[in-house]
Amino acid sequence: MKALLNKEFKLCLHPAVFIYLALILMLLIPNYPYLVSCFFVCNAIFFCFQQARENGDAMYTAMLPVSKAQAVRARVLFVVIIQAIDLLLVAGMCAFAIVSMPEHNAGGTDHGLSLLAFALVLFAIFNLIFLPSFYKTGYKAGSAFLKGAIGVWIWLVLCEGMMIASNAVMESGADIALFRFIHENIDCMPKTAEALTVQAILFGAGLLIYVVCTLLACRVSIKRYEKVSVQ
Amino acid sequence: MKILEIKDLRKEYPGFLLDNVSFDVEEGSIMGFIGRNGAGKTTTIKAVLNLVHADGGTVLFEGQDLWANETACKMKIGLVLGEFNYYKRKKLRSIAAVTKRFYPDWDDAMYETLLKRFSLNPEKKISELSQGMRVKFALALALSHKAKLLILDEPTSGLDPVSRDELLDIFRDIIEDGEHSILFSTHIISDLEKCADYITYIKRGRIVVSTDADSFKDAYRLVSGETEDLGQFRPLLIGYRAHAFGFTGLMRREDAERAEGLKVAPADMESIMIYTEKEDGHESAAE
Repeated sequence: MKALLNKEFKLCLHPAVFIYLALILMLLIPNYPYLVSCFFVCNAIFFCFQQARENGDAMYTAMLPVSKAQAVRARVLFVVIIQAIDLLLVAGMCAFAIVSMPEHNAGGTDHGLSLLAFALVLFAIFNLIFLPSFYKTGYKAGSAFLKGAIGVWIWLVLCEGMMIASNAVMESGADIALFRFIHENIDCMPKTAEALTVQAILFGAGLLIYVVCTLLACRVSIKRYEKVSVQ
Repeated sequence: MKILEIKDLRKEYPGFLLDNVSFDVEEGSIMGFIGRNGAGKTTTIKAVLNLVHADGGTVLFEGQDLWANETACKMKIGLVLGEFNYYKRKKLRSIAAVTKRFYPDWDDAMYETLLKRFSLNPEKKISELSQGMRVKFALALALSHKAKLLILDEPTSGLDPVSRDELLDIFRDIIEDGEHSILFSTHIISDLEKCADYITYIKRGRIVVSTDADSFKDAYRLVSGETEDLGQFRPLLIGYRAHAFGFTGLMRREDAERAEGLKVAPADMESIMIYTEKEDGHESAAE
């Protein structure tokens, strides 16, 4: 596995990964839907798959002393590492923003554990759709990404839409329990014990969803790729 | 001792069937795997190595199930699918650095020796190499992890005659120690005349014959005769070509020995394959 991971990082890693990871700086933009920065990481992962395909990676890997299942596991781990780096950067930026950007984010989810939870689910959705879809053929990265991106954007619009809506409703003076709960506990920096508890639960749930979905994606991908003829 | 045993290998595609392919590769030998384009050579090789999921059959490498012990077996197999056409923008040094980590038995000294022998510059990119050099690089990688069996799919196709001859010499050198074996698929039959110890001939997904090279050639004779004799001998001819002065064709040795009035000559591998492929149509376009 170490040799395969080394291959992924030395040969398959597209330079765009660094550029898109750097877009984490978008979390410093005031009033912005920060989840968008995670979508760019999905885009970077797609570039890696595309680069590997264009370079005949499937055949090169097939010649090495590894099974198809090991090759898929290594690639999934490669994806998980990139996403984990992004999540760590998001966490770092949130910590920075809590100290230096105390204003509420009116453009989407505020800096906090909620943002990390939503990002985890976003990556979970992407992995669950993109990976099995790609490994059905072993080469159709474009259509797999399109399907994954649709899933990601539905989640992204839903999350950020709810946060923007709760913000707008609260600013209008209307008192709707759901939006007040979101505004006070989810779409805020976790500065109160209650908000911290709610966001920690959300984060835990997001992490669980990410782990389950990614493991499922890996399993289905292996099963599908076993049937693929490497050309 | 058999290093590779393929039994009843089967793979079905729409319009193509790899039909119970069986043959063995002996240790310390070169097995030529011949057949025209689309006959099933590459599919067989890919199915053997689990690159293509076979519908049936067994593959034994050094007596153990290759598919069940894929990683361990592939450690001892060097696969060269034509030229090295992967990660063309990367330097040879980078590719080798990644590849070597998969093989605990990787021999750096041997790799360096092979680079020198093949005149390969590790600082060059794959895209900067000629076709022949890319084949040599693939061979250098395969040999540096001390592969006991080299499986080469069309390694000489597209190379000039001098490069091909040079590679054939390398193949002979590789098996000289009696520990290495080569399974060498090609449609350039003349290459095998120079180096193969055994021949397996595949036609439309079926093995026609698998035997030692001398027996393969000795089983057939090239015959030629007058046009008026053609009708009499047609049932015995495997394939033939009619021309203005008569015909030339291929017969089994025993048939050729009984056929009176025909000129009989030893058959070369290329003629055997060409006339066997004419079997169904029997006659090529008359000239």
